[in-house]
This record gives sequence, C-alpha cells and structure tokens, in this order.
Amino acid sequence: MTNSSIWLMIIGASLATLIPRILPVALLSRFEFPAFLTKWLSFVGPAVLGALTAISILAPEGEIFINIKNKFLWAFIPTFIIAIRTKSLFYTLLTGIITMAILYNFVIF
Amino acid sequence: MKNQELLSGIKDAIPIVLGYLPLGFAFGVLATEAGMSITQATVMSILCFTGAGQYIAIGVMQAGGAVLTAVLANVLVNLRYFLFSASLVPHLKSVPTKIAAFLSYGLTDETYAVAINRYQNRAASASYMAGLNLTSHLGWVGSTILGAVLGSLITNTDKIGLNFALPAMYICLLVLLVSKRTEAIVAIIAGILCVVIGYVYPSSLHNLSNIIIATLIAATIGVMLNDKQ
Repeated sequence: MTNSSIWLMIIGASLATLIPRILPVALLSRFEFPAFLTKWLSFVGPAVLGALTAISILAPEGEIFINIKNKFLWAFIPTFIIAIRTKSLFYTLLTGIITMAILYNFVIF
Repeated sequence: MKNQELLSGIKDAIPIVLGYLPLGFAFGVLATEAGMSITQATVMSILCFTGAGQYIAIGVMQAGGAVLTAVLANVLVNLRYFLFSASLVPHLKSVPTKIAAFLSYGLTDETYAVAINRYQNRAASASYMAGLNLTSHLGWVGSTILGAVLGSLITNTDKIGLNFALPAMYICLLVLLVSKRTEAIVAIIAGILCVVIGYVYPSSLHNLSNIIIATLIAATIGVMLNDKQ
C-alpha cells in the first residue's frame, strides 16, 4: 500500500467504527422504546459477555482450541471461582494474571 | 460529585488499560512492520480505537489487499457496536444526547462491559463516561506508540500473564452482571452459540459475526423465556 492509500484506509476504517458507535445513541435517545424492546436490549449485555468470555477462553488465538493443552481453559477455573467468591474485579484480575503467568512459565505444554 | 464520577470512571478503566497494554503494543509493532509510520499507527489508534478492526487492516496490508477490502472488513467487524450502543440508550437518559453521542466514540467491547455493569445500579453520567472511555482510549493510544517506537525491543508479555487480563475481566463482569436465572441461561446460550458458529464457520472468528449472531439469538430466547414465567 502506498502512503496515501494507508491514510485513506485509516479514514475509512475510522468511519466504519464511528458510525455504529455513535448513531444509535445520537438518534435513538429521543425515543421511548416499547417494553419488549427494552426487555430484549436488557439481555444484550449478558449475551455479549457470555459470548466474549467463551471466545476469549476457547479461541484465545483466533481459532477454536478446546483441548487440555489450552492454558486459558485452566486459568479460567480459579479465576471464575474467585470472581464468584469475591465479586471483585481487582482480585479476579490478580488471580487470572498470576495463574496465567505460572502456567506459562512452569507448565510445559 | 462530578469529580467523584470522573474518578470512578478512571478507576474502572484501570483493568481495561492493563489488558490493552499488550494488545496495543502488539498493534504498534505489527503496524510498523507492515509498513505504517509511527504517526500513522498512532493516528489509527486515536481514530479507530478498535482492536479487531485495526489488526484486520494490518492483515489486509500485509496480504497486499486493497483499501476497500480493509474498510469493508471494518464495517463487518464493527457492526456489533450498533447493538452495544442501542442497548446503552435506555441507560443514557440522564446524559445530554450530544455529549453521550460524542463520548460513545470510546465504546469498545471492554468499556461496554464495564459500563453496562455500572448502569445496573447507578445512573450514567457524562463525567463517568468520560473517565472510563477516555482513560481506556489513552491506554490504547499510549501502548500503540510504545509498540511502534520500541517494536524491535519487544519483550514477551505472555510471560507475565497479561494475555489473561481481558479474559479475566470478562469473567468477572459476567459474574457481576448476571443476577437472574434467565440472564445466566442467555449468557450460556450465547457462549455456546458463539463457539459453535466459530467452529463451523472459522471466518466468523475473524470478523466477529459470531458474536452478533449469538447475541441476537440468545437475547431473543431470553425474552421468550421471560414471557413464559
């Protein structure tokens, strides 16, 4: 790609991310949503987080990797337990990062 | 009061910044390797602020693809933000629309996950949004610059477990957000669907359409289950 193509790509890509982020908030805020839609939207959060969690653990490198050699799968267990027990982002993150560091440095697979 | 909101926004962004460090760094390294200048890599992180989209753009560049290919891939990858943004609308009534729209530029998977949790029991405010989104954005841009400048000296951040920062954050936010049985079922269905779709159509893992489809189906099932009760 030439230098000017790169700039064009950057501008195009930023428009592609700006529009879906801003448009709904900018246009929909003046409307009162019908009850069923509000209900439906209230499930978007849990669904998105369920999907993001599953993908980040089971496809950590961009490919589905369901295998006992998947370190993310092992790190998930203590992290999930601490999340339920403490409901604290700090302790959960700490547990996750330390577990991963241990797995990475001391477990050979 | 306002300061406190701003501070909690900044505080809530710290885990996000931690997770962005290796990702933004890697983007900086890859971007300069693929032929971007440090300025271009930095501007792209400022304007786009989308991990998946930016990585795809680099991939297209390296493969010798066209500008249009990179842009269309970004359209596809970022479609999910329509959903995220729309689902925040009912919570943002307390923020002036123009400000809310402007600050929504900082909407990412991670800032969405944190914000939607916060708004379950606290009203949204412009100061909180600014603290959360701008701090995260700054972390993304800062780590990009570090990566672009120090690319050759790259150290392996996997060794210190930082590659698990974002998964750990998702896990905790999921636990915090899910309080009802139906919500737990919706989250599990979405997780399974997302993985199954990704397995059957591996390309969906790269354009993230599996997240969109899984969310649409799981949220609909949630409404149906809710009606039955």
